[in-house]
Amino acid sequence: MDTIIQQLFNAAQLGAVYALIALGYSMVYGIIRLINFAHGDIFMLGGFIGLLLTTRLGWLPFWVLMPLAMLLTALVGVAVERVAYRRLRNAQRMSVVITTLGVGIFLENLVRLTVGPETRQIPARLPSGPVVWLQQHLGAFVTWDKLWIILISLALMAVLWLVVNRTLIGTAMRAVADNKDAVPLMGVNLNLVIAVTFAIGSALAAAGGIFYGQAYSIDPYMGIDLGWKAFIAAVIGGIGSIEGAVLGSFLLAGVEVVTVAYLSSNLKNGIAFGLLILLLLVWPWGIMGRPTLKKV
Amino acid sequence: MSTAPRPDPAQPLPDTRPSRVRFWMVCAGVLALAVPLQLLVDAGLFSDVLNPYYLHVLTIIGMNIILVASLNLLNGYLGEFALGHAGFMAVGAYTAALLATRALPPASALPPVLGTVGILLVTLAGAMAAAALVGYLIGLLTFKTVGDYLAIITLGFNMIIVNAIQNIDFVGGPRGFTGIAKNTNFVAVAVCLVLTIGVLRNLVQSTFGRVWVSIRENAIAAELMGVAVARAKNRAFTIAAAFAGLAGGLWAQNQQFITPRSFDYMKTTEILVMLYLGGMASLSGSILGVVAYTLLMEVLRNLLSAFAPQLAEWRMLISPLILIVIMLTRQTGLLGNREWRWLRPRQGA
Repeated sequence: MDTIIQQLFNAAQLGAVYALIALGYSMVYGIIRLINFAHGDIFMLGGFIGLLLTTRLGWLPFWVLMPLAMLLTALVGVAVERVAYRRLRNAQRMSVVITTLGVGIFLENLVRLTVGPETRQIPARLPSGPVVWLQQHLGAFVTWDKLWIILISLALMAVLWLVVNRTLIGTAMRAVADNKDAVPLMGVNLNLVIAVTFAIGSALAAAGGIFYGQAYSIDPYMGIDLGWKAFIAAVIGGIGSIEGAVLGSFLLAGVEVVTVAYLSSNLKNGIAFGLLILLLLVWPWGIMGRPTLKKV
Repeated sequence: MSTAPRPDPAQPLPDTRPSRVRFWMVCAGVLALAVPLQLLVDAGLFSDVLNPYYLHVLTIIGMNIILVASLNLLNGYLGEFALGHAGFMAVGAYTAALLATRALPPASALPPVLGTVGILLVTLAGAMAAAALVGYLIGLLTFKTVGDYLAIITLGFNMIIVNAIQNIDFVGGPRGFTGIAKNTNFVAVAVCLVLTIGVLRNLVQSTFGRVWVSIRENAIAAELMGVAVARAKNRAFTIAAAFAGLAGGLWAQNQQFITPRSFDYMKTTEILVMLYLGGMASLSGSILGVVAYTLLMEVLRNLLSAFAPQLAEWRMLISPLILIVIMLTRQTGLLGNREWRWLRPRQGA
């Protein structure tokens, strides 16, 4: 029982990080139908910006550091969109996808060359003691930082939900997702909406990167592996849907934690991708996605 | 849906009969250069001009052209976005390595030249068959998906193949497969290259290959004209996988050491970079892309290590930058949809 609860928290923490990344994939795909392969590397960059801020500006409290890192990463995300993707918005779709691949590798190698290829850990800024209540009542050993990571992530997702569903810019984003060609005719600034989407997605990914660096470790190439996992999660949940991305992330994290706990950690990636392929074959649009109609 | 550049509609459709003579002259020329080059390097003559390093670069170029040209079938002619080519290469490489070390006698136990040729024939045939089988099965499973989802599924299979090899201790697991005999040399690669280009060229210019282009241009229209879209796609997948397997088999017996990691997502991306640098739906583009990319990387490596060794690593930034700049400025690649004369079918007639 106690180990099951512990594993549950492990899965929730991993799922929270996946969800923070998957939301960026899902939002960008929902709005401009683009698989942003560089998003995993934006997540990695967010982690490294967090590391840099924590080591250089360590006297700042965590609740200032984290938004600052998120802001900086958001700027990078918007800059990448402006420089590399905007010009290709009306080009063939695969050209943009290939460009995102290029941007991803560029970011990986850039961080590798400037920071070095070593694996690092962000100095812990969240309290790391055990949650006494859980230990006494359920016998489960869960640390406070794990709990905080899960709670802050859920709070960020709630804020995102409010932004998308209750604000003007959120309405504009949903409108663009619905019909990219008609919305500018209504006087909506398409470039602004897309830039905001990239900013929000990158900021969430940065939060994920910082949490991941605290809970596990970061290295310049982690964006490939984790980015793909989060992407799978977004696809499983139905890409383009916010609720789907969150659901898919927790589902994938659950499967992964069970695999590592009861089978073998070597099989982790194989099972994650096997699950993806299986799900796509029986459920081609994901759990919450809307099927696209083929028009003649 | 349509991803590759469209041909100029003003031009008449070329005749299906290829102009064989010019093509075979080029192929014969390549082989006529390859054999003495290999012999001279092996003998150690003119070592300052013909150093083994150049031959090594040429061998790599040859293997990469096979890879890129076969991926061109899927991404260029069929117009899909397949992201798992290194996976097929891995299947071929491991099959060839297993056949060469476990199933066949070593080359030393056989007559000198013919023995090596025999081993190569068997291992490469095995590599192609195994990769084709895997490609066929993956093709069966990916029938339902197109576009983005096909990209995801093929990438997923690439990762699964690499992950599976990592978990098989019999082939070395994550440590890699060592002790493969060096059965491949530049001549072998050149022969395979000429055959690959010959087969692919005739294939894409036949009615068989035109079907792929018709699917790329408009899958629904093609279906209405009686094209069995799923079957045609699966054929393209199988053939492309077979040639990727061939390149893998050559690779394993040239490098003599393979690890699962050398066939992961990074290798697939490298193949993609070379493909898009050269140009989609153009075999000439595949050749030019590989040559340009490989030479650029080697020249940069030498220049940087000679003049600015502290910057040598920064060449890693060049390849993604090339990809981005090409996509921003010239999306059809260097040659985009055009062919050199010796690869072109005869016009009109």
